[in-house]
Amino acid sequence: MPAITANGARFHVQKLEPPKEASPLFEAPLGKGALPPSDPLHGGTGRSPMPPSGGPSAPRRRAFGSPPTVVFVHGLVTDNLSSFYYTLAGPVVSAGARGILYDLRGHGKSERTPRGYTTVGGADDLCALLDALGVTEPVYLVGNSYGGLVAARTAITAPERVAGLVLVEANCAGSGASAWLENMLNTLTVAALSLEYEETGHRLKAAGQRKMAKMAMAADSLLNGTSIIDDLSAERPLDTWELSRIACPVLGVYGEQSELVGGAQDLVTYVPDCQVEILPGLAHTVLREATVPLRDLILSWMRSSARVTVGASEGVAA
Amino acid sequence: MSAVFDEVVKIVTEVVGEDFLLDEEITLGTSFNGDLGLESIEFVELSENLQEYYGERVNLVEFIAEKDLDGMMAITVGELVTYIESQLASV
Repeated sequence: MPAITANGARFHVQKLEPPKEASPLFEAPLGKGALPPSDPLHGGTGRSPMPPSGGPSAPRRRAFGSPPTVVFVHGLVTDNLSSFYYTLAGPVVSAGARGILYDLRGHGKSERTPRGYTTVGGADDLCALLDALGVTEPVYLVGNSYGGLVAARTAITAPERVAGLVLVEANCAGSGASAWLENMLNTLTVAALSLEYEETGHRLKAAGQRKMAKMAMAADSLLNGTSIIDDLSAERPLDTWELSRIACPVLGVYGEQSELVGGAQDLVTYVPDCQVEILPGLAHTVLREATVPLRDLILSWMRSSARVTVGASEGVAA
Repeated sequence: MSAVFDEVVKIVTEVVGEDFLLDEEITLGTSFNGDLGLESIEFVELSENLQEYYGERVNLVEFIAEKDLDGMMAITVGELVTYIESQLASV
């Protein structure tokens, strides 16, 4: 099993390279002088805030002369990298991107450490993994549900490492996010008590339900054997002013019937460079139930977010 | 049975655990989800172990990319063996 040690833990990681015959995801390399020296692709910090679209200070977007890297960040407790492995990762990589999938700390086949389950910790883990993998260029982050919180936190704490942010069913800021975090905390607290006192895992194993038994035992170990519930209790959502500081392009995708759809409005209101899509007839299970439309949205958005549009002062167009 | 089948059984046993397989004989018709109850992440582990053994020729991400969710859940040992054998033969 491929594993990387980073930030004091061992992480199960999958790196996927695009096939040689893949169509390039992005335009051909730009000519000389097309990107400013401060751009991360040239080793700069790239901290220029993205102005609103339109006019002479229209957003500058980055184009890549080599395959972009997409990191997939999964959701909480019963989720792991397989949810992307079976859905988005293959098609995105086949389209020409490099893919990185990993099990969050304590999840899947990654090490279940006693502590370290905040979104700030998750962002630190992600950056440490990129360091350990030798990935220095800014990456696209695709976060599903809680993974979207980790991805958004990374865009705030390490903006120079994030080329673009895809939030699938994630409410990151304000009262909607607070309510979601509280709901998650309540659900997981009840689950932890139930798993421990009803010995759910052992009962399922005795009944021959191997798959469910393993999931229950893993959830029990995570919820009752680590600080994850305490960390979630102390978690705070992003402030709306933090959303306004997200410099990279953002794509938000929500189910029309999801409790988190209010997060879409916050993104539109506060994030300078943002596209939001609401998928009809869906709730929280967008990744699983609408994989193909989600894949198409992401690829289309990545292509458009990478095309360079420069003002007259830059002097070079894509 | 072929050498590929024997290797797949060996790797599946490593992933699932021998204690579970004491009551289960693996055949070409054995399904990973229905019969073996493989978790999604264990199927990833199976994929990784197969690729470690056979190299880049065996890529389960490509193999499952053409299947819908129901198809993926119903994959049998026989289908996997057929895929691996075809990949090895095409080198």
